[in-house]
Amino acid sequence: MKKISLKGLDQFLYYERLDNGLDVYLLPYDNKKNYIIDYVTKFGSVDTEFIPYGEKKCVKVPDGIAHFLEHKMFEQEDGIDPFTFASKTGTSSNASTDYECTRYYFEGNKAFKENLDYLLNFVGSPYFTDDNVEKEKGIIAEEIKLYDDQVEWFLDEELRMALLKNDKHRVDIAGTIDSINKITKEDLYKTYNTFYRPSNMFIVISGSFDKDEAIKVIKENKILNSFKDNFKIERKKMKEDISVNKKEVVKKFNTSNTRIGYGIKIPIGNHDRFLFSLYVGAMLKNKFSASSLFIERMQQEDLGTGIFVTRDIIDDYLLVLITARTDKPKELVKSIKEELSNVDIEAPDLERIKKTWIASSVMFSDSIAAMLGEIVDDVISFGKVISDRVDIYRSLNVKDYNKIIRSIDFNNSSVVTIYPNKV
Amino acid sequence: MEYKKIDMTSYNIHLIKTKKFKTIDIRICFRKEIKKNEITIRNILSELLTYSTDTYKTKRELSLKTQDLYNTNIFSICYRNGRYSLFKFHSSFLNEKYTEPGMFEESIKLLSDVIFNPNFNDIDSFNSAFRYVKDRYKKKLESIKDNATGYSLMRMLEEMNGSMEYSYRDIGYLEDLDLITLDSLKKYYNELINNSLIDIYIIGDIDDSCVKTINKYFNFKTVKSKKIDQLIKHDHIPKKIKVVKELDNNNQSKLSVGCMIEDLSEFERNYVLTLYNLILGGGTDSKFFKIIREENSLAYYASSSLAKLDSILMIRAGISKENYEYTVKLIKKIMKSIEKGDFTEEDINIAKESYISLLNEIEDNQDAIIEAYFAKDLLNLGDIEERKEMIQKVTKEDIIKVSKKVKITTIFMLEGVGQIEED
Repeated sequence: MKKISLKGLDQFLYYERLDNGLDVYLLPYDNKKNYIIDYVTKFGSVDTEFIPYGEKKCVKVPDGIAHFLEHKMFEQEDGIDPFTFASKTGTSSNASTDYECTRYYFEGNKAFKENLDYLLNFVGSPYFTDDNVEKEKGIIAEEIKLYDDQVEWFLDEELRMALLKNDKHRVDIAGTIDSINKITKEDLYKTYNTFYRPSNMFIVISGSFDKDEAIKVIKENKILNSFKDNFKIERKKMKEDISVNKKEVVKKFNTSNTRIGYGIKIPIGNHDRFLFSLYVGAMLKNKFSASSLFIERMQQEDLGTGIFVTRDIIDDYLLVLITARTDKPKELVKSIKEELSNVDIEAPDLERIKKTWIASSVMFSDSIAAMLGEIVDDVISFGKVISDRVDIYRSLNVKDYNKIIRSIDFNNSSVVTIYPNKV
Repeated sequence: MEYKKIDMTSYNIHLIKTKKFKTIDIRICFRKEIKKNEITIRNILSELLTYSTDTYKTKRELSLKTQDLYNTNIFSICYRNGRYSLFKFHSSFLNEKYTEPGMFEESIKLLSDVIFNPNFNDIDSFNSAFRYVKDRYKKKLESIKDNATGYSLMRMLEEMNGSMEYSYRDIGYLEDLDLITLDSLKKYYNELINNSLIDIYIIGDIDDSCVKTINKYFNFKTVKSKKIDQLIKHDHIPKKIKVVKELDNNNQSKLSVGCMIEDLSEFERNYVLTLYNLILGGGTDSKFFKIIREENSLAYYASSSLAKLDSILMIRAGISKENYEYTVKLIKKIMKSIEKGDFTEEDINIAKESYISLLNEIEDNQDAIIEAYFAKDLLNLGDIEERKEMIQKVTKEDIIKVSKKVKITTIFMLEGVGQIEED
């Protein structure tokens, strides 16, 4: 096991890659009660075209299959189901699907070894039948409807579709009711056998547990040990052009306030992905956070409220998504565009941003869930854990900021306006 | 962890000393009897006080100051708890050993500024802040239906009994918003500061010397506010179920079922009822999850929750409108089956384990620790070890007895007739 110091946080991460290819990340705490185990496969909603294990031709499976599979993993052929097993010791169990990964987690404060072994086993034991597949369709249909009714999700979806032409990050994670109705148990087995292999998976454990006990349980797990070959997964990657799909989209939705979404599509090129994302983040914080002049202007001129800024790394691109409620959509969009025409930063402002980011990192480290989430995101986005985050923050400077930010075309953008159609 | 309560006559200081966290967390709670016509002004005051102060007259200035203090986080929230109206200020900042000497006092000073120096003196900056906060809040009030699940629950409680405190909208009322003036804000502010029950909680790596600092900056001079009986009991439980339906353009219908609970002993309220709720619809092991979701595929979420001080149990489910009758029938059937004792010792043990697990994890999180001490005073609960002992004492007969006291009185169905397809 490698011992990795998390700089500036008084913490150590332990890492090992097992013979079967599984990556193990352990973050023990000595002052907590709970542990969280997160067992992750690098397979998400975007992976719908691939060459299945044992086959030669590329197949296409329906949208929403990763999420469907996540639901079905909780089905067991015989014996005890995961919810009940975990509950016996007051442990909570859950799972989630994202664009690029599916996660299964247990959180509790008892029976660590038993729960860890059980988690590895149940995720390693697929059991899909025509009946249990059919039954899930009604449940997932309601889940899809739940999100379809929410304007924030609708706006996010429309923005992604406007920015991306082919990339599968433009498709809703859960798919549609039509697409999930097409899913068969054969699709699920094909998908499972291809992507749920230790060489495509990793496990993160955070909180109160013994790291030597943990690695022992993982190494001795029979199901993991049954994987011998090092199968290389071939997934079809959609080619995505630099230009956006649609520059302007106007929609109506069952909501009370008008909203806009301003999306920017930025090619990452050869830059270091983490650093690139950070500098863009610094620009956004400088321009659009609560302490910015733009927000002050927004307030004084009644341009809108509830501005929210996120960024997302999607393959070769960084997407910036700005959303807000507004009664003056055209003026607000114009103002955002104007603001983005001068993206320089003063050194004192960059120093202040660095200070807040470093402070946040330290505060963050008290939370076992927050640290675990960050590790998972790092591995998915960057292929490794960023253990020197705090040092990297300290190293940010105006010279490198300018090199990166001044090379970006912020006009490569899409605007989505959503008008209310409520009476 | 060491706890110490100091009675300063006008307020209480609760010191919670622990080396577990890298931050210091302060919570200042104001408690008064709730009045319906004060809810909206209370919420606006909450937003105004954390928007700007007499010292930092704009959002931008206040935001810059919090960033300077190593990203200290200050916010406030208001809500109802039984007959009490609660107004809580939260402040969280790094222990100064991670930042620089003097930060502890500076952070407390800023919180004190937020509470004691409202931006009421400079008319221009007050008007600017008030206009923005009011507009933002108006948008929030206009879009309550966007949170369809929350809206359905709120309407159900209004239909249950429109004159009781539990029917008051936590978000307030549009018609009250326009009545607010600088004078009415000043008046309510003075009421809040001078006539509330005040508790100050501080948790972190602190010692008794911080009491001096707290008294320096939070020297409240309240006239001691009278304690009221916060528990709400039902004068009369209707025999006939009131059913109300409203239509909305959603894909999914939001069903809310309200139950009044007859006279409970303290033991029943604090322990038996908790287990009943867990077994009924409080998680993935509950009857609702297993029967409504898993067996019948009727819903993605179907759960129950308690408002203990209101003597109310609430059930919610997201369903398709065609399944309304069947879902309500199932809910009634499940509740009846528990009255007949149709649940096992294993069900009870799983519920107990869940409760104990939640108690165990309290000490991992500053908010949970403060909340536990707060609940101890409010609900007359014992400390954590006592609570673990008490929950073990609950028997199957206790749960059956309580189940018979839970009566469905109100059903509210926000019927989703589908999104309007329009561009």
